[in-house]
Order: sequence, then C-alpha cells, then structure tokens
Amino acid sequence: MKLIRARKETFVFAISPQEKSLLDEVLMLYPLISPAHHRLSRKSNVVQPNDHQRLLEESLAAQRELNRKNVQAMLEKPGHFQTTAAGQQLTVSGPEIEWLLQVLNDVRVGSWIALGSPDPESDKKIAFNKKLLPHFRMMELAGAFETVFLDALSGP
Amino acid sequence: MQRRGTVLLPRPRGAAHQSNSNQDTGALDSCTRAFYLPIMAATATPEVRPDIDRDEETDSSTKLESGYLVICWNDPVNLMDYVTHVFQVVFGWQRQKAKVHMLQVHNEGKSVLVRESMEKAEFYVHQLQKYSLHATMERD
Repeated sequence: MKLIRARKETFVFAISPQEKSLLDEVLMLYPLISPAHHRLSRKSNVVQPNDHQRLLEESLAAQRELNRKNVQAMLEKPGHFQTTAAGQQLTVSGPEIEWLLQVLNDVRVGSWIALGSPDPESDKKIAFNKKLLPHFRMMELAGAFETVFLDALSGP
Repeated sequence: MQRRGTVLLPRPRGAAHQSNSNQDTGALDSCTRAFYLPIMAATATPEVRPDIDRDEETDSSTKLESGYLVICWNDPVNLMDYVTHVFQVVFGWQRQKAKVHMLQVHNEGKSVLVRESMEKAEFYVHQLQKYSLHATMERD
C-alpha cells in the first residue's frame, strides 16, 4: 500500500487485494484494549480519583463507540475503495486518517498487551508459541499500516 | 490586604542629653514626654515603615491553585512518528517541538508535556489516551 495522490485533505492510496484483506483483518479486531487499561494517574493524589477515573472510562468508551461505527461503515460500505485499471485504490480524508490511526494503534497496543507487554530493552522478552503468534502478526501489521498513513500526513 | 504600619516619632533635639539613661531604648522619661508630646503631635511628620508582617491571607503557597502535570511515559510499542504526530494533533505543536518531547519520552522514560489546571490536564490526558498513549496527570 502506498500513497499515490494527496490533494486538499484527500489521500489516495494504491492497495493490492492482499493488503486490503489484511487491513480488513486488522480493523475487524477493534477494539482490543480493555477500558480499564487506561489510568488517569499513577499516584492517588488526584482529587476524587474514582470520579475522574470513571469520567475517563466514559470518555474513552464514547470515542471507542464512534470509532467502531466508522470501522463498520468502512467495512460494510466500501465507498472508500475503488477499482481502477491500475488496481484498487483507497481514498480517505485527513480526519478519517485520524480515526484510522486511533483504531490501528488500539489494535497494535492491544496485541502487545496480549503478548505480555514485552520490552526488548529489558528482560521482558516474548516467549513465542503458537498461541501468541497471531497477536505478534497483528501488532506488526497494524504498525505497518500506521506508518503508511503517517508518511502520507507528513508529506513529501 | 490589611495594611499594618508603625508610626515613628522623630526624636526631639536634646532629648538624648536630657535622658541619657533611656538612650539605648529610645524611650522618653515622663517629664520629657509631658513636654514634647503635645508639640510633636502637631508638628511631627509621621514616618511610615513598610509593613513587614506576613499577610496570612495571600502569602501562602498552599492556597495557590494547584497545577497538574500531564506526563507521557515511555513504552516499547508506540511508534516514534506516531507519538510525534499525536503531540502535534493534541497540543497543536509544531513538528520540531513535538519531536523534542517524543525523544525525551524515548530517552528519559517520560516527558512533562504541559502544566495545567485540573480540568485542562484531564482533557489532555483523555485526548492522549484516545490515541492509546501512556499518559497520566500528576499533581505538581
């Protein structure tokens, strides 16, 4: 998948059928991160921590619902994808890339959490097995699509 | 603010000679006081020293509005370009500034992004977490 045209907040990508299939696979996993994963503070010195934590979870839940509807619309109404003589194209706007990035990164971080939150710079390495491989694959795929969209936004 | 000053009366000429025993303390003996005070009350220009007392109403750091730090913590999963992009979107920063904070997160483990009121800090943490960044708010 690569950017072929960017004009007035509209981005057109060339995407192969295999890439589209992989993108669909990643998007269908959304959401992966549990709402309770995010904490407002590391310490308990925030005023009324329970109320504020609840507010955070409500805010994230509302955003998640909005993103989920966007994903569903993209998967069910394939208006974003056109088939041309040169192959298939994906057309998205800047704001659509923003929610796509949120969705892709949720899948990336969620897969990383499912892998046991490994850290290559510490002793917390991935203990690979058949059960974990799909999470690793999804983490890498989501990251690859993120990179394409970020490169498109940052311009030439 | 309540003003509290001390009015000082100028020492009359010769007063020191007349009351050497009271020179150290600056106090006037009863005779001198009886003679000079009515005159001084009418002619002396009062000198007002600045108020050096602490004003408990305002000089208390604990009563200033507490600030909250919005902190982004390092993790090995979020892509560097992604973090830079999110800082640009959430705070409206130029790429250069966003990159400086991203590198601080990467190299030092965390970066204090802004210091804000509780409401604003909470808003920023919500925005950062919508992008799945590891961000929290801590009381300054």
